[in-house]
Amino acid sequence: MASRYVELAKQMHPRLQRFFAKYPPTQILPRTMAENTIKDGAAANPFLPHKHPATGRWQDPEFSLRRQAELVKLARTEGLEELLPFTHKGTEERIRKRVEEGLQVKGTGVGQKVKGHLHERMLFTKMEKRRTAMLGMPRLVREWRKNHQTGTRGWKKFPR
Amino acid sequence: MAKKPKARMINVRLLSMAMTGFFYAFTRPRMARPMSMLKYDPIVRKKVLFLEQKRKGK
Repeated sequence: MASRYVELAKQMHPRLQRFFAKYPPTQILPRTMAENTIKDGAAANPFLPHKHPATGRWQDPEFSLRRQAELVKLARTEGLEELLPFTHKGTEERIRKRVEEGLQVKGTGVGQKVKGHLHERMLFTKMEKRRTAMLGMPRLVREWRKNHQTGTRGWKKFPR
Repeated sequence: MAKKPKARMINVRLLSMAMTGFFYAFTRPRMARPMSMLKYDPIVRKKVLFLEQKRKGK
């Protein structure tokens, strides 16, 4: 059984081989790889920055975001993505973020609203005002006719 | 210096009562009564009442 796994492992892309040799999948060596704290003895997730336990300074992740994305792409084509430790470049994480934030355009996420220009925000009230004005128009014209055409001083109500 | 006399004719703006902001501009004698007429508003595509707008400021 083990030899079969070795055979399978040898078919991987060499880059993935090197990665998994250095960082065996968590399924084989169970460790907390989804957080950036190093508890005593635990291996740090090479895809996340982490705080050094002794000095308290932040250390860069071992793999840059570009290299993380490349590894994810390689692993995805070979169907091995779930073996990688947690990374922000992972497919699931990306989908989750897309759902949460929408496109990079502000306001396109779930439960968000595009702000729009002022005239776009006021469009509804404007149309409503116009509609009520048009509904009252026959009455207004009737009143105007009465006052305008009789010999009195005429119409008095002018818009300000 | 003598004050400049007011012009006899004034330009006025007849505003659509359909609240579209559309207007016609006319000239009328200052002393005449304010203008009002039924005219076409292209925004609502109907003949609506147009009333003279009160002139604001200067």
